[in-house]
Amino acid sequence: MRSYAEMNPAAVTVHLMLTACITVFCMEPFLLGISLLCAIGFFLIQNGRKHASFHIGAIGMPTLFALLNPLWNQHGTTVLFFINQRAYTTEALFYGAVAGIRLAAVLYWFRSFSQLMTSEKLFYLFRFLSPKLALIFSMAVRNLTLFRQQMQRIRTAQRGLGLYREGHLIDDLRGGLRIFSILLTWALENGIITANSMAARGYGIGSRSSFTFFRWRRGDIVLLAVSLLLGAAVTAGIAAGRLDWQFYPTCAPAAHSSAYYAVLTAYFLLALLPVIHAYKEAMMWKRLRQDI
Amino acid sequence: MRTIKSEGVRRILRNALPFAVMPAIVLLLPLGLQEQYYALVSFVMVMLALLLFLSGFERRDLGTRRMILVSVMTALSVLGRLLPVIKPITALTVLSALYLGREAGFLVGALSAVLSNFVMGQGPWTPFQMLAWGLIGLFAGILAKPLKRSRLLLYAYGFISGFAYSMLMDIWTTLWTYKEFTLEEYLAAISTAFPLTCLYAVSNVIFLLLLAKPIGDKLERIRIKYGL
Repeated sequence: MRSYAEMNPAAVTVHLMLTACITVFCMEPFLLGISLLCAIGFFLIQNGRKHASFHIGAIGMPTLFALLNPLWNQHGTTVLFFINQRAYTTEALFYGAVAGIRLAAVLYWFRSFSQLMTSEKLFYLFRFLSPKLALIFSMAVRNLTLFRQQMQRIRTAQRGLGLYREGHLIDDLRGGLRIFSILLTWALENGIITANSMAARGYGIGSRSSFTFFRWRRGDIVLLAVSLLLGAAVTAGIAAGRLDWQFYPTCAPAAHSSAYYAVLTAYFLLALLPVIHAYKEAMMWKRLRQDI
Repeated sequence: MRTIKSEGVRRILRNALPFAVMPAIVLLLPLGLQEQYYALVSFVMVMLALLLFLSGFERRDLGTRRMILVSVMTALSVLGRLLPVIKPITALTVLSALYLGREAGFLVGALSAVLSNFVMGQGPWTPFQMLAWGLIGLFAGILAKPLKRSRLLLYAYGFISGFAYSMLMDIWTTLWTYKEFTLEEYLAAISTAFPLTCLYAVSNVIFLLLLAKPIGDKLERIRIKYGL
């Protein structure tokens, strides 16, 4: 059994993007609350107790938004008090809180997504689109570290030649520019050499083949199918207006039809998939240990 | 399921995207959708525009050398974006477009946006940044001749592209914050971002002032030496 992070990147991307995009484009307090809770759960499973400052910032967002929104938003009818003859309304307070929850949830989802999607996985995804582009992308990633190392080498050499004093502003700037200039010349020439050696080895003659770690297994297909199904159901529900809330002038929740609860349940399942997956994994581990 | 190998499927995708899918979305927009889904639709449109450019790139033969140079320039501008506050990404995109062609310009801009966002933070704004920087590169490539001839025009292009970038990103900000698009809200977003926009525009000009001659000369030399 593989962990969620080890699933096929295409399936993981479809699932996380569906979950996050529905959060971005929906303004229904309960759906957003579900989204935020599941996102936090998923993030905690991935990271444990690390990133405390991120949690503080993300959780503080709804409070900040809620307190600030009424200051420049004059809609709403239930006036709490006046600041400089400007009304401070409950509706605007509520709307701010909901917008803040939405932003926090999106931040959590994308943070988890960035953590999962290593450049290796992104390379795999790019290949669906264009093998050439994927090659450029992976070479650029490789060049990043290569150039950093080369820059360090150039800097050492320049310092050894006595051309570059540190802690002197103008010298630092001029030295920095010279190092960049040397790096650029080297990088361009090095690139041409790479291209020549690729051509010498026959790049561009036949179709390209490349190695990848990722396969489509049964679990990946199940994940993809389930997230597409649930995502389609939720999107259909939102598009049909089942989750429409009215915030101004007075708050009017969506009608509590059975469709409303069905959509919320579908979204809950969609957002909870990674947590369910982790729970299943933990259960299996426990069972295997008991067998011994 | 790996790359789309069959040439036929690729051709269908290439033709279907610009001529069927995008007009269909534009036509459906006023028919079925309410205002609150403009953000979603604009997001989908931007993704499609990116797909269109990138799949078009697959067909064109750029040459191995130029391809490698694109990856070199991308890596350099990503390294540059990690500087604090001011970013040379626009200047490097424009310069690559001038000397390596418009496709190269688009790619350097778009790929630098994705790659540097691994550090700066990915989000729903990534496709918009990709498109904005890609277009800056594309137009610089199209205008390569006059921009190479007159240095003043080049600085003006850097200045204007700073504003254009900000205004394109503000469309996204407006849609994302207000869920709809009206002129007043757009103007409000622009005016909030105005100091930062000016900083972008001015820093573009400064970077072009500093880098246009040395980088331009080097790219030109490579171009002549290896006959790109």
